[in-house]
Amino acid sequence: MKTLYKNFFKSDLSQNPILKVLSEIPIFKNLSSKELKGIANLVHERTYKKDEPVFKKLAPAEGMYVIIKGKVEISDPDSGITFVTLGNGDFFGELALLDEEPRSAMAVASEPSKLVGFFRTDLLTLMNRDPKIGNKILFDLSCVLGERLRRTNQELAKSQ
Amino acid sequence: MDSIQKLYRLLLFLVIGGLAWNILPFLGSVIVMLIFAFLFTTVFLNSVDSLERHIHSRGLSVLLVIGSVITLGLWFFGSFISNLGSQIKVFTHKLQQKDFAVSLESLSEKTKDALPDFMSNMIPETDKLINVAKESIGGVFQNILSILGSTGSFFFVAVMILIFTIILLVEYHDFKRSLVHYIPNKYLEVGLRTIYNIEQQISKYLRGQILAAGSVAILSIIGLFILNQMGANMTLIVFIGIIAGLANLIPMVGPFVGMIPAILIALMNNLGNDAAMAHQIFGVVPSPFFILDIVFMFIIVQQIDNNFITPILVGESVGLHPMVVMIVLLIGGILIGPLGMLFAIPTAGVLKVIITEMIFISKNSHLL
Repeated sequence: MKTLYKNFFKSDLSQNPILKVLSEIPIFKNLSSKELKGIANLVHERTYKKDEPVFKKLAPAEGMYVIIKGKVEISDPDSGITFVTLGNGDFFGELALLDEEPRSAMAVASEPSKLVGFFRTDLLTLMNRDPKIGNKILFDLSCVLGERLRRTNQELAKSQ
Repeated sequence: MDSIQKLYRLLLFLVIGGLAWNILPFLGSVIVMLIFAFLFTTVFLNSVDSLERHIHSRGLSVLLVIGSVITLGLWFFGSFISNLGSQIKVFTHKLQQKDFAVSLESLSEKTKDALPDFMSNMIPETDKLINVAKESIGGVFQNILSILGSTGSFFFVAVMILIFTIILLVEYHDFKRSLVHYIPNKYLEVGLRTIYNIEQQISKYLRGQILAAGSVAILSIIGLFILNQMGANMTLIVFIGIIAGLANLIPMVGPFVGMIPAILIALMNNLGNDAAMAHQIFGVVPSPFFILDIVFMFIIVQQIDNNFITPILVGESVGLHPMVVMIVLLIGGILIGPLGMLFAIPTAGVLKVIITEMIFISKNSHLL
């Protein structure tokens, strides 16, 4: 009865840290709490030790990661430049959901971290199982990429 | 201390080896059941997923899909067995009336007349022929009885496969996630890609095979219908067509298995029919009971299937060279018979995916 109550009547997102973080990701912003639950059942929860690579530069790219807890450093190992250090609720690698190009940078956990991975194979499975949710995610993903492109254009214009 | 450890390891190895040796025969059948359940799961997964989208209940979707398939299957086999039963009854009645011996004698005489002298001498005397035919038909029915006798164990295996399939269908996505959980971080993305490619390989192959089987069934039904128009007097043509389609799932052997019920029914229906006995294919070659016509028709269906349908629907699915396919089929057949032939191509496809990914990992280990 307790489980039934939990499943059907208590859909408070704050109860589940993964659901809470996912609900704040722009890619999943248009999903209902029920749809988000479906995504939470699909994503892969992973733990990384300090200095453990999440992925290396030029590695085959299969999907994106969301940081539930911890910090991840995005850097270029060739030049030694650190682009950004991401924290709780941030996401990276989302471009890999769309194309099969290798990773353009390296991601390393700079402290013990808990991430969830959402991969292209999950997106394809989801599009097969529930095209409506798949379309919502694809639309939001396009918005995120469009926004990023606009920002890059603005920065390029500024630098010129 | 070192020697004690070695002795301990040896003992442990012997105990585990002994256990594995004893358990393996039992595990073997469980593994085959699980493979079948996995194949059925792959076949029905899309339907269950689509239904779940509409009724929002995975359990109910699985029950509805499996329930419909079982109902359809039971209806098919039920009607086929009852129809075949009545045909066998009529046939047995014919045998008891000794029409059978007369028919065979007349068939033997007519065949001898139609053939050149040197070949007629090779045909045994009518009495011997009748005895041989009676014994062989008796043997066939004896075998059918023994097959029916083993229905009990078949029923048990079928129920177990059904239970495994239902569990796998309900829990498929969770099982997959649990499996992914055990992949080390380093190999996570490659592992996911491998699992997805294996799924795709099996799913494409099965879908292709089912479509090819459906096409063979339809073509066989059309072929048998045309033969009927020529006076073949065939009954149960839809059932025969479906059996030929299903048998087609087993590569190489299947197509010939599909002919057997058609020939048996042609024999049963046309026994004592002079026109059918004197029938000649293309008006030249004697084809008593339309047997050669049936064989010829199935060969045409197989040629259409092998040259047009299968290359389009199945050929591309596994991406294996035809020579490799032949070798793999032979190995499967030698190892575990027809079942081995059924599983040979998808297994080879899966191995191909795994080997490709392993080569990729070994070449790009510095990136992982």
